[in-house]
Amino acid sequence: MNLSCQSCGAQLVVADTLRTTVCPYCAAPSVVQRPPTADRPPPAFALGFTQTPQRARELARENLLRRSFWAPSSVRNASVEELRGIYVPAWLYSALAESDFSASIGENYTETETYTTTENGKTVTKTRQVTKTEWRSLSGHHAEYIPDVLVTASSGLPNAELEHIEPFDLRALRRYDDALVAGWISEEPSLPQQQCQEQARAEVTALLRKRLAAFMPGDSHRNLQYSTRFHQESLAMCLLPVWVMAMRHDPKSPPLRFLVNGQTGKVYGRVPVSWVKVLLAVLLGLLVLGGGYLLATNLGGR
Amino acid sequence: MSSVAAQCQRCNSRLEAEDLRCPVCALPTPRPPQAAERERARVIRCDNCGAAIAYSVEAQAPKCAFCASQMHIETQEDPIDQADRFIPFEVGTDQAQEALREFLGKGGFFRPQDLASRAALDSLRAMWWPGWEFDAQVAVTWTADTDAGAQRSNWAPHSGETQLDLHHILVSASRGLTLAETQKLSAHYDTSKAKPQPEGPAGAQVELFDVTRSGARRQILDAVEKTAREHITKADLPGHRHRNLRVAVALSGLGTSHCALPAYVLAYRYGKKLYRVVVHGQDASCVLGEKPISWGKVAVTALAALALLVIVLLALQGS
Repeated sequence: MNLSCQSCGAQLVVADTLRTTVCPYCAAPSVVQRPPTADRPPPAFALGFTQTPQRARELARENLLRRSFWAPSSVRNASVEELRGIYVPAWLYSALAESDFSASIGENYTETETYTTTENGKTVTKTRQVTKTEWRSLSGHHAEYIPDVLVTASSGLPNAELEHIEPFDLRALRRYDDALVAGWISEEPSLPQQQCQEQARAEVTALLRKRLAAFMPGDSHRNLQYSTRFHQESLAMCLLPVWVMAMRHDPKSPPLRFLVNGQTGKVYGRVPVSWVKVLLAVLLGLLVLGGGYLLATNLGGR
Repeated sequence: MSSVAAQCQRCNSRLEAEDLRCPVCALPTPRPPQAAERERARVIRCDNCGAAIAYSVEAQAPKCAFCASQMHIETQEDPIDQADRFIPFEVGTDQAQEALREFLGKGGFFRPQDLASRAALDSLRAMWWPGWEFDAQVAVTWTADTDAGAQRSNWAPHSGETQLDLHHILVSASRGLTLAETQKLSAHYDTSKAKPQPEGPAGAQVELFDVTRSGARRQILDAVEKTAREHITKADLPGHRHRNLRVAVALSGLGTSHCALPAYVLAYRYGKKLYRVVVHGQDASCVLGEKPISWGKVAVTALAALALLVIVLLALQGS
């Protein structure tokens, strides 16, 4: 690659997976423009960062401390080793979803039942109201637009992790402009579009289970089955603001990775579990139980 | 006021110039093409002083560190749109007063007899109230429980789908008139006579829209769903009773216009109290309002009924 800094003319080294770089000589932030391909189209939209780095740090620390009970005690002193604001590429998917469904719908009814019971040593016959359910089969059709599905296009941020820091507020969506990512790390999409589209369809299918469950009439339902066709699908590349943090708590173990939604401040990170603490707690619990049992049998024996 | 920019490629709904995505189906609007032919690194420069610009979290916009000027990035605008179609007044102030007098004269048994002669006009205000008018094609799928085909339970499940063509549906955005009032008035407007400028009696006021564009779209989508539900309840559901009606709508070709609708709001005084009456601005026979009740007449009637009852009882006992 042969790129030079527009500011001072120095040669720039840009990783193939990045859209942005900073000139090592004059510190001018550059945005790389590449001819688009199907898997790597120019971004259509971007969401800007609204959480400052200080705030992201605080949020991640608060989250870590709140969840540190079962973690090794060293995490309480964890320090942020590295903090990066990254514009992560994601596909914004929308489609018209048409589903054929079938289900058993439960309709409740009440019946009067007679039963015998003994009262004051005598056998008496009584009646009572019982609610019963009648199962009727229903099949039909459901169609609606599914508007805001986000799936990652970066191999660096798996979709499961992205889901943990969703939702993003899409009302603040902006038309992509190079100036929005200047001075920040912006990734190029690294997953094939086909794979992302299938991921998006899978997300919609999972979402439709909830939508269809709410669509069912009756008092209850079971055996809900459906197949969905996707029409008029659209995929648009959108850059999402994410703070990525490495927290070091123990020089010997790998750092903890924390993600903070750069727009809403939602935090996700895995906190390690200290097996020593868990073992101690279990032993203590057993000890208390055993002690209580002994005490109870001793008292009872007397 | 915004101009109509384009139609959505997917659902044919009308788009505003500032839309980034279709408000109905979320399809991104096309952007002017600006693809790079070859790879290059670009430094974004400040329009003001020429220094390199970077995005600033604090400003939430690209900001120049030297001269502190900010760059504007196209975003989803949410303005408050105002009426661009004014339905002209066809009823004059005299006709409105006449309509009030006729309304008071029509009385009813329990109304005071001197209502028409003693009621004094307190105020008369000509105004345009704001409302959205929309057209849309709606594909509705629905499920519900009805009594048709019921076996042991009172209910049996049903499902169906239907295609609706909605034309000239009015949704009120007025704060001054109640929902019941606007619903009754709506049925009598002829919106094809709309003009781009207000036309009516001197001093007529225009009630402004005070809902943002996104809020307006939500209200319109709610109205579409409500209309669809009403239609299905009336035309599609089998049986006589129903419950758990669930609908899913897929809209296409949604077009909305902002209308200003003429009406007279009158207040008259009877005794010590004020009563409000609304007269339609296009159709003087459409009058809504409150009338006082003559409690004297009500009491006399009740007493008479009681007396009759007592007499009948006595007669029955006597025999």
